[in-house]
Amino acid sequence: MQTQAQKEAAPEDSPVVQQKIKRLRELYADAPELGKLALEKGLPNLKRELAAATGTQKAGRIGARQGKVSELTGIIPFAKGGAKRLRGLLQALEGNFRGGDAVGTLHDMRFVFLDNDTKLLFATAYDGEWDAYIDDFVTKIPDAMDLLFCNIEGWPGIHSPSVKDFIANHQVAAEAWYVANPNLTVAETRRLEKIVKAADEFLDQVA
Amino acid sequence: MPTQALKKTAPAQDESAQEKIQQLRELFADATDVGKAALENVIRELTSQVSEPPPPIESAGRVGARLGKRSELTIIVPLVPGGAKRLRTFLGLLGGNLSPGATKVGTLHDMRFVFFDNDTRLLFATSFDGDWDTYIDDFIALIPDYLDLMDSAWEGWPGIRNPGAKDYLVKHQITAEGWFVANPELTLAEIERLKRLGKAADEFLDKVA
Repeated sequence: MQTQAQKEAAPEDSPVVQQKIKRLRELYADAPELGKLALEKGLPNLKRELAAATGTQKAGRIGARQGKVSELTGIIPFAKGGAKRLRGLLQALEGNFRGGDAVGTLHDMRFVFLDNDTKLLFATAYDGEWDAYIDDFVTKIPDAMDLLFCNIEGWPGIHSPSVKDFIANHQVAAEAWYVANPNLTVAETRRLEKIVKAADEFLDQVA
Repeated sequence: MPTQALKKTAPAQDESAQEKIQQLRELFADATDVGKAALENVIRELTSQVSEPPPPIESAGRVGARLGKRSELTIIVPLVPGGAKRLRTFLGLLGGNLSPGATKVGTLHDMRFVFFDNDTRLLFATSFDGDWDTYIDDFIALIPDYLDLMDSAWEGWPGIRNPGAKDYLVKHQITAEGWFVANPELTLAEIERLKRLGKAADEFLDKVA
């Protein structure tokens, strides 16, 4: 039976993968030489990768999610004088934020100044759904948010009813998103740290 | 004037904190009202952060910021004509999931590809363990062809085996000026250890329960 045969065939030789490889070859026909070469050389690995592709999911309103971890990427013009203020603030904080821990779902966050200080790139990795995450920022560190983002053009204020629309409008969803431990939330990591610490102490006592 | 109590505990620290706060007030004098109000609301927290600051960000090596053991790489490149279409379709065929290749790089925590400015530019941003040079060497040694497949859409990309590849990356990387990591001391290797020990501890507790 055909389905039986398909099941038995290695997944990397399935018709779906073959079809995808064909599309890639067409797509790369006008690529630079090294791109075409890389396609042919990487083909065995690529077939496995195409067969295993599980797909990124959506983080809710906007953004990509892999397992339990989502991405938020915003590129936003600075308000007049905003780059200077934000840089001064970040320098006073030595680039780190104690407030980030208060959010509880935030894995990492970066502030990058683009295009001769005319635009801000703000990128985070966080747990779960977009709406819940933004709500965490609103309820847990509203003033820090206003302090950081009053420096961008048009920021309505964290307590404004339009703040979520503002953020969503300036967010650009990633087209690919990889997370090494997609099922490890910040909370779960803390739990593991505690358990391992307790186990270490226990073993020290019985030793 | 600073209070007597504060002066007694750490006069020098307190003075420098007050100075920094004063600088922030001057810096935000021409901010929006929302910004000025926010500054006053968090002044107490800020005073505590600037007087007992959390660990500062450092350099990840040749370029990029590092906090504890975790570094950031943020690269923005112009795309060649047709490059966005090729790269987008390629990523789409993988379902946006780069796991099989990316897991080979044992120091890579997360990685994103974002197209912007009407598909003329690409943001490539990752979070990784340790030093920039070692990390890039891992990419070159472990997944060179994937890199060329994706980076052949980048304007001027010399090819991963070209001696100028690292200089190209440095030229297009922009160091973050703010960088926060929830678990800055946890490398991927350490996380694997935690997962293993956590599982073993759970099983042990199940047995003795």
